[in-house]
Amino acid sequence: MARKPSPPDEETQQPEFSRRFFLKTAGVGAAATTMVGVGARGEAASVLGPDPVTLNLKVNGAAEAVTVEPRVTLLDALRNHLDLTGAKQICDRGGCGGCTVLLDGEPVVSCLMLAADAEGHEITTIEGLGTPEKMSPLQQAFVEADALQCGFCTPGFVVAGTAFLAAHKNPSLAEIKDGLSGNLCRCGTYGRIFEAVQKAARKG
Amino acid sequence: MAQDEKAPEPTVTFTAKAGFPSAPTSMEVHAAVGDIKPWDAESWAQFEQMGKPRPRAEGPLKVTGRAKYTYDVKLPGMLYGRMIGAAVAAGEIVSIDTSKAEALPGVKAVWTADSRIVRFAGQDVAAVAAVSPEVAMDAARLVKVTYKERPFAHELRAAMEPDAAPVYDLDKSPAGPDVPRKGNVVGPRGGRRSEGRGDTETGFAEADVVHEGTYYCPVHTHSPLETHGVVASWEGDQLTVYASTQGIFAVREGLAEALGIDRKNVRVLCEHMGGGFGSKLGPSATGSAFAMVACRLAKKAGAPVKLMLDRKQQHLCTGNAPSALITVKVGAKKDGTITAVDYRSYGSAGIAGGAGTAGPVNALHGKNPNLRVEEYDVYTNAGPAAPLRAPGHSQGAFGIESAVDELADKLGLDPLEVRKKNEASPVRAAQYDLGAKAIGWSRRNKKAGDMSSGGFPPAKGAKKRGLGMANGNWYVFAAADVSAQVKIHRDGSVEVIAGYQDIGTGSRTAMAVVAAEELGIETSAVTMRIGDTQFPEGPGSGGSITINSVAPVVRLAASEARTKLFALAAPLLGVTPEELDAARGKVFVAKDKARSVTFKEAAAKMSGETIDCTAKRKKQYETFRGDLTGTQFAEVEVDTETGEVRVLKMVSVNDCGFPVNPLTTQSQVIGAMIQGASWALLEDRTLDRNVGTMVNPNLEWYKIFTPADMFEAESILTPVANLGNNTSTAGIGEPPIVPTLAVIGNAVYNAIGVRIRELPITPDRVLGALAEARRRA
Repeated sequence: MARKPSPPDEETQQPEFSRRFFLKTAGVGAAATTMVGVGARGEAASVLGPDPVTLNLKVNGAAEAVTVEPRVTLLDALRNHLDLTGAKQICDRGGCGGCTVLLDGEPVVSCLMLAADAEGHEITTIEGLGTPEKMSPLQQAFVEADALQCGFCTPGFVVAGTAFLAAHKNPSLAEIKDGLSGNLCRCGTYGRIFEAVQKAARKG
Repeated sequence: MAQDEKAPEPTVTFTAKAGFPSAPTSMEVHAAVGDIKPWDAESWAQFEQMGKPRPRAEGPLKVTGRAKYTYDVKLPGMLYGRMIGAAVAAGEIVSIDTSKAEALPGVKAVWTADSRIVRFAGQDVAAVAAVSPEVAMDAARLVKVTYKERPFAHELRAAMEPDAAPVYDLDKSPAGPDVPRKGNVVGPRGGRRSEGRGDTETGFAEADVVHEGTYYCPVHTHSPLETHGVVASWEGDQLTVYASTQGIFAVREGLAEALGIDRKNVRVLCEHMGGGFGSKLGPSATGSAFAMVACRLAKKAGAPVKLMLDRKQQHLCTGNAPSALITVKVGAKKDGTITAVDYRSYGSAGIAGGAGTAGPVNALHGKNPNLRVEEYDVYTNAGPAAPLRAPGHSQGAFGIESAVDELADKLGLDPLEVRKKNEASPVRAAQYDLGAKAIGWSRRNKKAGDMSSGGFPPAKGAKKRGLGMANGNWYVFAAADVSAQVKIHRDGSVEVIAGYQDIGTGSRTAMAVVAAEELGIETSAVTMRIGDTQFPEGPGSGGSITINSVAPVVRLAASEARTKLFALAAPLLGVTPEELDAARGKVFVAKDKARSVTFKEAAAKMSGETIDCTAKRKKQYETFRGDLTGTQFAEVEVDTETGEVRVLKMVSVNDCGFPVNPLTTQSQVIGAMIQGASWALLEDRTLDRNVGTMVNPNLEWYKIFTPADMFEAESILTPVANLGNNTSTAGIGEPPIVPTLAVIGNAVYNAIGVRIRELPITPDRVLGALAEARRRA
């Protein structure tokens, strides 16, 4: 299961989350406010924005500079500024796993993480795990087991499954179910996904 | 969608083998002139490409994140749009003030709705387009809307009350003046499925036992993981729209008409799409005109606009499955012979009609001679429904198949035996024992709730197991105006070009299989080009229509291309084209297979660059039988202390004619069982009775099945040469979800001995029902 991201400095964790939560829930239909994405951080933390800032991200092994408003999520930075569209926004609340990426090898839901907080970390997206011509063993297993239908949840499952297999060399079915239960699929491919993970585990 | 019965057209007659390949029967089919002999029961054993499990062609793109969905499209200078929905359930819009939004730097265009009447929360009010999603969100918050609120009806049963707030003024009803109306209740509606048969009074007089019960299903939402959305781009008067849709031609038609422009100037593209389940059949959605709005914003801003709905909007305004309140009275003789069914159904499709559920009661228990049906629509202040995977049929099957289960219990008979007794379909009759064996039906509790009465091991603590079954039906629909193009190039490469879309079913791969089988080449040698309205016209993917509509025309075009190729190969082999056959990449003399040339060698002889054949769908044959049958079984475990229901195993036995690709076909069947089990146990779109807005407009409170809920799922296909078209194919997307609600409900009853007639079967309902049973005992 992808964990909620924690920023490098644990002390800043709470303000980060409340700001993001506020940004995402004060949505359509709510009373108009002049709120912008600043001001929630404690005095001790460095304040970014409101104007765009340049962030240096390390994505799939390459150094990437993006200039974004500091409130931009890691997911939106990857998708809208780096053209890495494999990670999807599905629930936009960290509840579906569709936007899962690896941060220093650990799965995180990139819709709940600010791009600014990903600086200094190794980010791996679905695009970094394999190509259509050279798929990873898990990707290959997904294709062979038909562990996908519409395929919209698939990148999230593959990234989560990759992290899961890195931590579980010989997983039981119960462990796989538990390990992937942060991800949702609507077409109903779970059984095939379990097959694919088991198959990839057997191949090592 | 069904084939019209018109004046007889000239036909050609083929004699072919129909039915199960193991027990074929000879029959004549009358096909339109120009059609070809259907693949029949004898073809099944000879197929080289058809009927073999194979991974879907686009798999490598999807598992590596390279597949581009509408949501992933990014055009130069593209703006981000955002819809703004009504915040109240009913009333009038007094004013929409967009001035602050328009003044915000980065905002490039604003749209406001013409209509000032609000009938559901989430209805289109305004929209903005801005340079980034963040600015668009800021701008949306700056749009100030004031309302004059009115009373509303939030839910089916509340809306049926005599003093309920009327959703429409009494002189206005979308159903028209001819349909009776009382408050929000409209009906009984007419229509084929309400006609009934026989005389139920006589039937009930003949019955030894009568059961009557009322069953309730809440509203479900489709919840496709890719929300509805488009990217709209103008170049002069030419409009290009990338759409997450189940029907590219429906989008083209709807946008051209809404914008008042020629269809020829509109191009709609859909390469991959992230789920629809019936909610993406129209130009936009049933409860929002977002696609048209995106086109207008793009025109106004002079830049492409991407407009994706968010998750909340998806729940509110892109359709849903109507609720249903179904009362069934069923009578039978002591031996289980059903003598009469009286069926009355109320349902709410929100502000729309179309909540009928009578499909299953018409089709199942076909030997029952006496049936009476009444169906009513009830308006509520909620987003209009949309077809959701066998619309109305899961609800309807929950009604009739729960009632028949209760009837069997009253009769002291095995519910499976009661089904068999009243079965009219030879295909389903053959399916019962396959399913029963796979689930281990003999273990079922002979006395519901008593785990010592069947073959289960003794109950462990508070956990009880049970088995249930139910039947489902569906139809063989076909779209008539479908064309496809097959090209063989001079280098031997092959393309199939057709304007349909793969909504995740594997239809892209399936048509490649059909073309490859006809041309005698490998499926992997066929390149598919789909999802573009510049290609020959394809059907909208709804009603499990795609395979049955497109496969026959792909085969026809491939057959014409094959004939042309044979004309090139014949001189090389010194025979006539009629003496040739093709398989495994070779064209050979049918009576002397050693004499052959390769497909490529034959293609190299063409005079130009391409053999290019476009065919149009011929008439659907008079079918071997009208319905698609299925039967389904489940084993559940109920924790009687916590009320939690866990599905342990499900088995679905289905007929879809010839399954073109059993791997992807079975993926759909298994997926339907999971989605259906999720509806049965978890899903309930809840509107707040005090304010009329949705309480659970996300994916954590609108719960769907997760990996942790997953059970062992088995799909058993019974291939049938149905001779409905030249490929004997039929769709499978919908049939396997029809019985699932009833299957789960019946299994829960078998486990605990208490009937839960209201869905979803949540722990509170289980515990409440058990407590009620204890009080009565």
